[in-house]
Amino acid sequence: METEPGIKAPSETLPSYQERQLVEQVLSKDRKATAEFVSFCADSVHSFVRKRLTPRVELVEDLMQEILLAAWQSLPKFRGDASLRAWILGIARHKTDDYYRRRLREADITEEGGSPVDPAVEPLLDRLLDAAAGQDRGERTLNLLPEAYTLALIWRYRDEKSVREMAELSGKTEKAMERLLARARENFRKEWNHAQS
Amino acid sequence: MPSPETDRQWQTLLADDEESWRPAPPSLKARLYSALIRQQQETGPLASLDVSVADGHDVCIFEKLVQIAPVSGAAKSPFFCTACHSRVLAEHFDNPPIFWAHCPYVQFKT
Repeated sequence: METEPGIKAPSETLPSYQERQLVEQVLSKDRKATAEFVSFCADSVHSFVRKRLTPRVELVEDLMQEILLAAWQSLPKFRGDASLRAWILGIARHKTDDYYRRRLREADITEEGGSPVDPAVEPLLDRLLDAAAGQDRGERTLNLLPEAYTLALIWRYRDEKSVREMAELSGKTEKAMERLLARARENFRKEWNHAQS
Repeated sequence: MPSPETDRQWQTLLADDEESWRPAPPSLKARLYSALIRQQQETGPLASLDVSVADGHDVCIFEKLVQIAPVSGAAKSPFFCTACHSRVLAEHFDNPPIFWAHCPYVQFKT
Protein backbone atom coordinates (compact mmCIF):
# COMPACT_ATOMS: atom_id res chain seq x y z
CA MET A 1 0.00 0.00 0.00
CA GLU A 2 1.28 3.45 -0.88
CA THR A 3 1.83 5.50 2.23
CA GLU A 4 2.53 9.12 2.90
CA PRO A 5 5.44 9.94 5.22
CA GLY A 6 4.32 10.09 8.78
CA ILE A 7 0.74 9.04 8.16
CA LYS A 8 -0.68 6.23 10.18
CA ALA A 9 -3.68 4.84 8.39
CA PRO A 10 -6.29 3.01 10.41
CA SER A 11 -5.94 -0.72 10.20
CA GLU A 12 -9.33 -1.46 8.64
CA THR A 13 -9.26 -1.36 4.86
CA LEU A 14 -11.60 -2.58 2.17
CA PRO A 15 -10.68 -5.26 -0.34
CA SER A 16 -9.91 -3.63 -3.68
CA TYR A 17 -13.08 -4.92 -5.40
CA GLN A 18 -15.16 -3.32 -2.62
CA GLU A 19 -13.27 -0.08 -3.02
CA ARG A 20 -13.94 -0.05 -6.76
CA GLN A 21 -17.59 -0.81 -6.10
CA LEU A 22 -17.81 2.02 -3.58
CA VAL A 23 -16.14 4.42 -6.03
CA GLU A 24 -18.57 3.45 -8.80
CA GLN A 25 -21.56 3.96 -6.53
CA VAL A 26 -20.33 7.34 -5.30
CA LEU A 27 -19.74 8.43 -8.90
CA SER A 28 -23.32 7.44 -9.71
CA LYS A 29 -24.35 9.78 -6.87
CA ASP A 30 -25.77 7.07 -4.67
CA ARG A 31 -26.36 8.95 -1.39
CA LYS A 32 -25.88 5.87 0.76
CA ALA A 33 -22.55 5.07 -0.85
CA THR A 34 -21.56 8.69 -0.38
CA ALA A 35 -22.24 8.41 3.35
CA GLU A 36 -20.12 5.27 3.43
CA PHE A 37 -17.38 7.12 1.55
CA VAL A 38 -17.37 9.93 4.14
CA SER A 39 -17.30 7.42 7.00
CA PHE A 40 -14.49 5.55 5.30
CA CYS A 41 -12.10 8.44 4.76
CA ALA A 42 -13.02 11.22 7.22
CA ASP A 43 -11.04 9.89 10.20
CA SER A 44 -7.76 9.53 8.30
CA VAL A 45 -8.12 12.90 6.60
CA HIS A 46 -9.07 14.57 9.86
CA SER A 47 -6.09 13.23 11.75
CA PHE A 48 -3.74 14.18 8.92
CA VAL A 49 -5.09 17.68 8.43
CA ARG A 50 -5.45 18.50 12.10
CA LYS A 51 -1.83 17.70 12.82
CA ARG A 52 -0.72 19.89 9.95
CA LEU A 53 -2.86 22.90 10.67
CA THR A 54 -2.04 23.03 14.35
CA PRO A 55 -2.63 25.40 16.07
CA ARG A 56 -5.16 26.76 13.52
CA VAL A 57 -7.66 23.97 14.17
CA GLU A 58 -10.53 26.28 13.25
CA LEU A 59 -9.43 25.84 9.61
CA VAL A 60 -9.66 22.05 9.69
CA GLU A 61 -13.30 21.81 8.60
CA ASP A 62 -12.91 24.09 5.59
CA LEU A 63 -9.83 22.26 4.39
CA MET A 64 -11.44 18.85 4.94
CA GLN A 65 -14.43 19.94 2.91
CA GLU A 66 -12.12 21.13 0.15
CA ILE A 67 -10.28 17.79 0.21
CA LEU A 68 -13.43 15.66 0.08
CA LEU A 69 -14.95 17.72 -2.73
CA ALA A 70 -11.67 17.50 -4.68
CA ALA A 71 -11.59 13.75 -4.04
CA TRP A 72 -15.11 13.36 -5.37
CA GLN A 73 -14.30 15.40 -8.47
CA SER A 74 -11.16 13.33 -9.07
CA LEU A 75 -12.75 9.93 -8.37
CA PRO A 76 -13.08 9.11 -12.10
CA LYS A 77 -9.26 9.12 -12.16
CA PHE A 78 -8.97 6.62 -9.29
CA ARG A 79 -7.24 3.56 -10.77
CA GLY A 80 -6.87 1.46 -7.65
CA ASP A 81 -3.05 1.39 -7.83
CA ALA A 82 -3.01 2.54 -4.21
CA SER A 83 -5.72 1.96 -1.64
CA LEU A 84 -8.59 4.42 -1.72
CA ARG A 85 -7.58 5.81 1.67
CA ALA A 86 -3.95 6.35 0.58
CA TRP A 87 -5.20 8.00 -2.61
CA ILE A 88 -7.36 10.43 -0.65
CA LEU A 89 -4.50 11.17 1.73
CA GLY A 90 -2.43 12.07 -1.33
CA ILE A 91 -5.07 14.69 -2.19
CA ALA A 92 -5.00 15.85 1.43
CA ARG A 93 -1.25 16.26 1.19
CA HIS A 94 -1.55 18.41 -1.95
CA LYS A 95 -4.17 20.59 -0.32
CA THR A 96 -2.15 21.09 2.85
CA ASP A 97 0.91 21.86 0.73
CA ASP A 98 -1.15 24.55 -1.02
CA TYR A 99 -2.07 25.98 2.36
CA TYR A 100 1.56 25.98 3.58
CA ARG A 101 2.72 27.56 0.33
CA ARG A 102 0.15 30.34 0.58
CA ARG A 103 0.89 31.07 4.24
CA LEU A 104 4.66 31.02 3.85
CA ARG A 105 4.48 33.21 0.74
CA GLU A 106 2.62 35.77 2.81
CA ALA A 107 5.02 35.47 5.75
CA ASP A 108 7.72 38.09 6.13
CA ILE A 109 10.80 35.93 5.67
CA THR A 110 14.11 37.65 4.93
CA GLU A 111 17.73 36.68 4.53
CA GLU A 112 18.76 39.61 6.73
CA GLY A 113 20.52 39.24 10.03
CA GLY A 114 23.47 37.30 11.35
CA SER A 115 24.19 33.66 10.80
CA PRO A 116 21.36 31.39 11.72
CA VAL A 117 21.81 30.33 15.28
CA ASP A 118 21.84 26.57 15.80
CA PRO A 119 23.66 25.88 19.03
CA ALA A 120 24.77 22.42 19.98
CA VAL A 121 21.36 20.88 19.67
CA GLU A 122 22.09 17.17 19.85
CA PRO A 123 22.25 16.91 23.66
CA LEU A 124 19.08 19.00 23.96
CA LEU A 125 17.21 16.87 21.47
CA ASP A 126 18.40 13.71 23.15
CA ARG A 127 16.80 14.97 26.31
CA LEU A 128 13.61 15.88 24.46
CA LEU A 129 13.37 12.44 22.93
CA ASP A 130 14.02 10.76 26.24
CA ALA A 131 11.00 12.43 27.77
CA ALA A 132 8.12 10.01 28.16
CA ALA A 133 5.56 12.44 26.82
CA GLY A 134 8.00 14.03 24.38
CA GLN A 135 5.74 14.03 21.34
CA ASP A 136 2.72 15.29 23.18
CA ARG A 137 4.78 18.07 24.63
CA GLY A 138 6.29 18.73 21.23
CA GLU A 139 2.78 19.24 19.91
CA ARG A 140 1.95 21.68 22.67
CA THR A 141 5.18 23.56 22.08
CA LEU A 142 4.41 23.84 18.37
CA ASN A 143 1.09 25.42 19.28
CA LEU A 144 2.89 28.24 21.07
CA LEU A 145 5.03 29.33 18.13
CA PRO A 146 4.22 31.98 15.55
CA GLU A 147 2.39 30.36 12.64
CA ALA A 148 5.28 30.66 10.14
CA TYR A 149 7.61 28.82 12.51
CA THR A 150 5.09 26.04 13.16
CA LEU A 151 4.40 25.59 9.46
CA ALA A 152 8.10 25.53 8.61
CA LEU A 153 8.89 22.92 11.26
CA ILE A 154 5.98 20.67 10.33
CA TRP A 155 6.64 20.96 6.60
CA ARG A 156 10.32 20.20 7.06
CA TYR A 157 10.25 17.52 9.73
CA ARG A 158 6.82 15.94 9.67
CA ASP A 159 6.26 16.05 5.93
CA GLU A 160 9.97 15.63 5.19
CA LYS A 161 10.15 18.38 2.59
CA SER A 162 13.66 19.46 1.65
CA VAL A 163 14.68 23.08 2.25
CA ARG A 164 14.96 23.52 -1.52
CA GLU A 165 11.41 22.26 -2.11
CA MET A 166 10.08 24.51 0.63
CA ALA A 167 11.87 27.49 -0.88
CA GLU A 168 10.62 26.77 -4.38
CA LEU A 169 7.04 26.17 -3.32
CA SER A 170 6.82 29.29 -1.18
CA GLY A 171 8.69 31.56 -3.61
CA LYS A 172 11.51 32.28 -1.16
CA THR A 173 15.25 31.72 -1.41
CA GLU A 174 16.86 28.68 0.18
CA LYS A 175 18.86 30.96 2.40
CA ALA A 176 15.72 32.68 3.65
CA MET A 177 14.12 29.32 4.29
CA GLU A 178 17.15 28.09 6.21
CA ARG A 179 17.03 31.22 8.34
CA LEU A 180 13.33 30.71 8.98
CA LEU A 181 13.94 27.12 10.06
CA ALA A 182 16.86 28.13 12.29
CA ARG A 183 14.69 30.74 14.00
CA ALA A 184 11.85 28.25 14.27
CA ARG A 185 14.10 25.66 15.93
CA GLU A 186 15.50 28.26 18.28
CA ASN A 187 12.03 29.44 19.28
CA PHE A 188 10.89 25.87 19.75
CA ARG A 189 13.78 25.26 22.13
CA LYS A 190 13.03 28.44 24.07
CA GLU A 191 9.36 27.57 24.44
CA TRP A 192 10.23 24.05 25.45
CA ASN A 193 12.68 25.22 28.10
CA HIS A 194 10.27 27.92 29.27
CA ALA A 195 7.55 25.32 29.82
CA GLN A 196 10.01 23.19 31.78
CA SER A 197 11.15 25.96 34.12
CA MET B 1 22.48 24.21 8.76
CA PRO B 2 21.90 21.40 11.26
CA SER B 3 23.69 18.11 10.75
CA PRO B 4 21.78 15.21 9.13
CA GLU B 5 21.71 13.54 12.53
CA THR B 6 20.11 16.60 14.11
CA ASP B 7 17.59 16.75 11.27
CA ARG B 8 16.75 13.11 11.94
CA GLN B 9 16.19 13.84 15.62
CA TRP B 10 13.88 16.71 14.80
CA GLN B 11 11.97 14.40 12.48
CA THR B 12 11.59 11.89 15.30
CA LEU B 13 10.45 14.56 17.70
CA LEU B 14 7.85 16.02 15.36
CA ALA B 15 6.71 12.81 13.65
CA ASP B 16 3.11 11.69 13.65
CA ASP B 17 2.46 9.25 16.44
CA GLU B 18 -0.35 6.76 16.69
CA GLU B 19 -1.30 7.90 20.19
CA SER B 20 -2.37 11.28 18.90
CA TRP B 21 -4.72 9.76 16.30
CA ARG B 22 -7.90 11.80 16.38
CA PRO B 23 -10.94 10.56 14.53
CA ALA B 24 -13.22 13.16 13.00
CA PRO B 25 -16.04 14.27 15.30
CA PRO B 26 -19.39 12.80 14.20
CA SER B 27 -20.91 16.27 13.72
CA LEU B 28 -18.08 17.17 11.36
CA LYS B 29 -18.69 14.00 9.35
CA ALA B 30 -22.37 14.92 9.15
CA ARG B 31 -21.56 18.41 7.83
CA LEU B 32 -19.05 17.01 5.34
CA TYR B 33 -21.62 14.53 4.10
CA SER B 34 -24.23 17.25 3.64
CA ALA B 35 -21.69 19.41 1.79
CA LEU B 36 -20.69 16.55 -0.49
CA ILE B 37 -24.31 15.77 -1.31
CA ARG B 38 -24.96 19.46 -2.09
CA GLN B 39 -21.97 19.40 -4.44
CA GLN B 40 -23.28 16.26 -6.14
CA GLN B 41 -26.68 17.88 -6.61
CA GLU B 42 -25.08 20.83 -8.38
CA THR B 43 -24.12 18.51 -11.21
CA GLY B 44 -27.56 16.92 -11.56
CA PRO B 45 -30.00 14.83 -9.58
CA LEU B 46 -28.86 12.20 -7.11
CA ALA B 47 -29.42 8.55 -7.89
CA SER B 48 -32.91 7.41 -7.02
CA LEU B 49 -33.45 5.59 -3.73
CA ASP B 50 -34.35 2.55 -5.86
CA VAL B 51 -30.76 2.58 -7.11
CA SER B 52 -29.42 2.74 -3.55
CA VAL B 53 -31.54 -0.25 -2.57
CA ALA B 54 -30.51 -2.13 -5.71
CA ASP B 55 -26.87 -1.38 -4.81
CA GLY B 56 -27.46 -3.24 -1.56
CA HIS B 57 -27.90 -0.30 0.80
CA ASP B 58 -30.58 -0.09 3.45
CA VAL B 59 -32.79 2.97 3.73
CA CYS B 60 -34.26 4.57 6.81
CA ILE B 61 -37.95 4.47 7.61
CA PHE B 62 -38.63 7.85 5.97
CA GLU B 63 -36.68 6.97 2.86
CA LYS B 64 -38.55 3.65 2.74
CA LEU B 65 -41.84 5.53 2.56
CA VAL B 66 -40.53 7.48 -0.41
CA GLN B 67 -38.95 4.42 -1.99
CA ILE B 68 -42.16 2.38 -2.01
CA ALA B 69 -44.31 5.30 -3.08
CA PRO B 70 -45.90 4.81 -6.52
CA VAL B 71 -44.01 7.68 -8.10
CA SER B 72 -41.36 7.98 -10.77
CA GLY B 73 -37.63 7.44 -10.15
CA ALA B 74 -37.04 11.16 -10.62
CA ALA B 75 -39.39 11.87 -7.73
CA LYS B 76 -37.25 9.64 -5.53
CA SER B 77 -34.04 11.52 -6.31
CA PRO B 78 -34.16 14.64 -4.09
CA PHE B 79 -32.12 14.65 -0.90
CA PHE B 80 -34.94 14.20 1.58
CA CYS B 81 -32.62 14.46 4.57
CA THR B 82 -32.55 18.21 3.96
CA ALA B 83 -35.99 18.36 5.59
CA CYS B 84 -35.25 15.85 8.34
CA HIS B 85 -34.55 16.88 11.91
CA SER B 86 -31.97 14.11 12.27
CA ARG B 87 -29.70 15.93 9.82
CA VAL B 88 -29.95 19.15 11.81
CA LEU B 89 -29.26 17.36 15.09
CA ALA B 90 -26.38 15.37 13.65
CA GLU B 91 -24.71 18.45 12.19
CA HIS B 92 -24.75 20.17 15.57
CA PHE B 93 -24.22 17.42 18.12
CA ASP B 94 -21.64 14.65 18.30
CA ASN B 95 -24.06 12.34 20.04
CA PRO B 96 -27.43 13.38 18.63
CA PRO B 97 -30.61 11.78 19.99
CA ILE B 98 -31.43 9.94 16.77
CA PHE B 99 -31.59 6.21 16.83
CA TRP B 100 -33.49 4.73 13.89
CA ALA B 101 -31.72 2.30 11.67
CA HIS B 102 -30.07 3.07 8.35
CA CYS B 103 -30.12 6.84 8.68
CA PRO B 104 -26.80 8.04 7.23
CA TYR B 105 -26.46 10.55 10.03
CA VAL B 106 -26.85 7.83 12.65
CA GLN B 107 -24.08 5.93 10.90
CA PHE B 108 -21.65 8.77 11.67
CA LYS B 109 -22.27 8.37 15.41
CA THR B 110 -20.44 5.06 15.55
